[in-house]
Amino acid sequence: MAEKHFDEENFSNRLTGKTALRILELAKEHYPLMAGFIVCIMITAFLEALNTFIVKHAIDNAVVPGDSVLLKHYFVLYSLLHLILAFSVFLFIYCAGRLGEIIQYDLRKKLFIHIQKLSFSYFDKTPVGWIISRMTSDISRISDLVTWNLMDIVWAVTNMTSALVFMLLINLKLALAVLCFIPVIIYTALKFQKYIIAEFRKVRSANSRITGAYNENIAGVKVIKALAREEKNLSIFGALTDDMYTASYRAIVLSSVFLPVVQLISSAAIATVLWFGGWQFRAGVFTVGSIQAFISYITFMLWPVQDIARVYAEMQKSLASAERVFSLLDRQPDIKDRKDSVTADSVKGDIEFDNVKFFYEEDDPVLENFSFKIKTGETVALVGPTGGGKSTIVNLLCRFYEPVEGCIRIGGRDYTEYTQHSLQSKLGVILQTPHLFSGTIMDNIRYGRLEASDDEVVEASAKAHADDFICRLPEGYFEEVGEEGTHLSTGQKQLISLARAILSRPEIIIMDEATSSIDTLSEEMIHRGMENLLKTTTAFVIAHRLSTIRDADRILYIDKGRILESGSHNQLLLLKGHYYSLYTRQFRKEKERDLHVFG
Amino acid sequence: MHLLGYLPGNPLYGLWVLLGSHKKKYLSSLILQSAAVSAGTAGYFVLRFYINDIAETGDWRFPLAYFSIFYIVLAAVRGVFSFYRSKLAGSSSEGIVRDLRNTLFDHTQKLSFSYHDNASTGELIQRSTSDVDTIRRFYGDMIPGLNRIFFMFLINFSSIVYLDIKLALLSVPAIPLIIWMSVIFFRKIHDSYELYQEQDGKLSTAVQENLTGIRIVRAFARQKFETDKFDSLNREKLKRGKSFLLKHALYWPASHTICAVQQIFGIITAAMMVINGKLSIGDLVAYIGFLNTIIWPVQQMGRIIAQLSTAWVSYSRVSSVLENEKEDLLSGNESALLSGKIEFRDIYFSYDKSSPVLENINLRCEPGESIALLGETGSGKTTFVNLIPRFYNADRGTLLIDDVPVENYSRRFLREHIGIVEQEPYLFSTTIRENILYGVKREVSESEIIKASEAASVHESIMRFPDKYETVVGEKGVTLSGGQKQRIAIARTILKDPRILILDDSTSAVDAETENNIRETLSKLMKNKTTFIIAHRIQSLVDADQIVVFREGKIIQKGNHSHLIAEEGFYKKVFELQGKIEDELVRELNHG
Repeated sequence: MAEKHFDEENFSNRLTGKTALRILELAKEHYPLMAGFIVCIMITAFLEALNTFIVKHAIDNAVVPGDSVLLKHYFVLYSLLHLILAFSVFLFIYCAGRLGEIIQYDLRKKLFIHIQKLSFSYFDKTPVGWIISRMTSDISRISDLVTWNLMDIVWAVTNMTSALVFMLLINLKLALAVLCFIPVIIYTALKFQKYIIAEFRKVRSANSRITGAYNENIAGVKVIKALAREEKNLSIFGALTDDMYTASYRAIVLSSVFLPVVQLISSAAIATVLWFGGWQFRAGVFTVGSIQAFISYITFMLWPVQDIARVYAEMQKSLASAERVFSLLDRQPDIKDRKDSVTADSVKGDIEFDNVKFFYEEDDPVLENFSFKIKTGETVALVGPTGGGKSTIVNLLCRFYEPVEGCIRIGGRDYTEYTQHSLQSKLGVILQTPHLFSGTIMDNIRYGRLEASDDEVVEASAKAHADDFICRLPEGYFEEVGEEGTHLSTGQKQLISLARAILSRPEIIIMDEATSSIDTLSEEMIHRGMENLLKTTTAFVIAHRLSTIRDADRILYIDKGRILESGSHNQLLLLKGHYYSLYTRQFRKEKERDLHVFG
Repeated sequence: MHLLGYLPGNPLYGLWVLLGSHKKKYLSSLILQSAAVSAGTAGYFVLRFYINDIAETGDWRFPLAYFSIFYIVLAAVRGVFSFYRSKLAGSSSEGIVRDLRNTLFDHTQKLSFSYHDNASTGELIQRSTSDVDTIRRFYGDMIPGLNRIFFMFLINFSSIVYLDIKLALLSVPAIPLIIWMSVIFFRKIHDSYELYQEQDGKLSTAVQENLTGIRIVRAFARQKFETDKFDSLNREKLKRGKSFLLKHALYWPASHTICAVQQIFGIITAAMMVINGKLSIGDLVAYIGFLNTIIWPVQQMGRIIAQLSTAWVSYSRVSSVLENEKEDLLSGNESALLSGKIEFRDIYFSYDKSSPVLENINLRCEPGESIALLGETGSGKTTFVNLIPRFYNADRGTLLIDDVPVENYSRRFLREHIGIVEQEPYLFSTTIRENILYGVKREVSESEIIKASEAASVHESIMRFPDKYETVVGEKGVTLSGGQKQRIAIARTILKDPRILILDDSTSAVDAETENNIRETLSKLMKNKTTFIIAHRIQSLVDADQIVVFREGKIIQKGNHSHLIAEEGFYKKVFELQGKIEDELVRELNHG
């Protein structure tokens, strides 16, 4: 499933009515705008056809007889119509554009709010880039559908009908003759565009492969140099650009044939007008103005026809975008508050995992019959190899996921009885890769408790021992941290996320220590900050550092979803088992690192 | 494959140079445009003749069918011209960007290490893709667009002059006004669009930040806060979108009005001339056609001109990448048989010519020796080994390989005989097989590949992947652990069978079992090769033939273990500290 729903180009080739209706529903509140722009387009297209009709009459009734007064009257009318036309052009661009922007705004908002509710199982399987594409390009395509695509259709239909009606008014027989050409043109256009669109699809796919190749070429440049692969890579890349050239060239050649062919068919229609129109002129039932008008109308009708297939293809794409956006909107969160859930005032109390079973994939259980209990105020260190289940325990505890079987009790009560919001706001979470938001340090710490005063922020960061380094920054607490905190070192980010957690006055602390090496000084600072926090609060720490492990009230050695060893540091050392070897290895590593030799 | 050479800095001249061998084709396509436009204009002359013949003079000199046939023939001629025009323009603009893409690709991979150290990946990719695409549109859309408007004006204006010069002059006074207005407006529209796009970028960043930080958002229950934050950005985009669209909504009716005024004025003038007998009725019908072809396309000028400025910018961004000198891979000796003897003589090196990274480096390594490099981060170890494959050139001093200065060998030759295993090697998103074969240029049999991966103890792990050796790295959720990546890199190096080996002996990211595995395979690999090990553990030092201690870019100690342990200095201190750690550990364990 995962692969399928990430496929960008994947869309059904039919115009699905249901999706289209749903899109129309999105615009429901803005129907006046929609009606406004549709009416204005119809007026615009009609007025253009009408103007040609007026020119015909001006030629026949004023120019040919030589009546200059009447001529002026005609052109006053013609000018007035142009003014109205200009005004309706303004209105339709304005209404359509505005409608489009508002729909985009609404959809982005809706989608963002929805995303905030989705569960982690979704985010774990869905790349961030995929969701961002839904929020950006897909949404703008949906708005194109209700605005510019719709406009093209209304325009084409009004344009062709009014041109036809005026031709019929001028000369019934000739108009019917011209009418015969229309299906031929439309058929040719659709036939051609099918192939052109297919070629452009190849161009797009070649293009994305080229981008991918550039990406690897730059990211892996040092390996490429070291392995002296330049020539081979260039020849492989050359094949890609050849593909791109061939596909683009074919698309261009097809397009270059298409336009002349359509023009040729329309010139055949005009030729018909010249021929039969000539006979009718001799018979006195056709005029010079009529010939001029027919030629104008035929040229007119050409424009929408040339576009018809492009619009159709765009609409297909937009509907596919809409399908993807709707599928995201329809996605229900796996974890929902129970109907009878209550707001937790406090989550202090013993924490118990009771026979918990959990898996991410059905056939691959991560935890089974997993039980343990800790008392209020205890600090638990989780240790063991990667993939053993430590992170899962933390994820369950944070209720990012819920047990498949069994339950987790906090203060004797199944934690699913609480609302997610009230439960999670009592947790203090410090992640392995500390995540900061762009903004100032002040903003980032205050994220822990939005109503906290500046003084409280400073106090919390003092407790986290983050105060020192912050004050040394040129802007102090008002230093911008950059996107995802890139202006700061990992150690500094960790101190800030610690301060953030302290500020939130958590009742349970959940911490995933960083494995990546940070300098000894910041590590010392973090440790001292942690001590403050851990003293009084129940805490779970996925621990990597000896100091943290040693200080824990209890250590759980976890591997393959089971607790293999449990007890205090001294107790576990005596076992001379898993913990013992982990400890000695980590001991050497940390000490060697402290020597700064192998940096 | 045609690769481009030097490109000038001046965009205008540069875009001319870029045309290169496509010049003839491209210019023909521009000229063919005039033929296509002429054929279209000729159609109005047919019309004029026709109307004059049946209405003005009433001569009926020709059968009606002649006019019809002639009209269709003209359309066909026009079609042929416009087909060749598009074809030539398309093939040359696509050809130009194909050369440009290949050149950029090749140049990027041959730019020096120092360049890549400072360059941003995203920036380089953007230049190679979207900037190149802008250049493609310059040749494919912008210039042909302007050219078309130009010929439409020129040919139809001349046609009106042919009808009546006074009428011609009265048909165009509004044209400069329309051009001026469209240039001004589109500059504004363009700026406004940039602002809109900028906000779009901010929105994407905000979503990205929210999603990567979703655990923090949830953990602090900050959904409402995040939604509000997003909403204010979203509102700003709405606002900017509205201002962008308002400019469009104002421009089109405004320019439409001016065009219409010119059109009405022209037609009335011509019609009055017909009434006064100065023009024929056929002239009038043809004139309406000429006039429309002159006036309406001009509205688009501003749009194209605004785009031209983006093409200048894109050109400069692309040519500035190509300005940087690339490495010469080929010149130099390519046929030596390396034994692996290496000598550093008084080597000095710095990245920026001011703060030295290596100073006065002197070291002799015999063929087959192993040399362990020891020192803090930034002490110069990595730079030191990077000099051997000529990733960097020393500022001063001589580096000899088999008693020949390293500059005398070609870079390609050197790199083919030097194997490098990094601590977190980069794998390419192709099959595991391709990754293992990445460095070898000869034919390699299946059994040889398997033997190499067995030697690197990665065969078994590979066989557990869904498609075994054909598994594509990074697809279908196949993510390789740090240890697996490293062992694939080792298999790659085994196949390459280099004379000189550079190992980054770090296993910080793997567990104990993997660590031992990797150690074993590494020691097999090192046999009979001159090996430099960037050491991260005491074990890799003890057995080395030479130990070199770096501090602040200088070698402060060298010798083997027994030699260094006997003299006072850094190494002895480290070793003793090491011993102290063990003592401490034992004490602590017993204490527990």
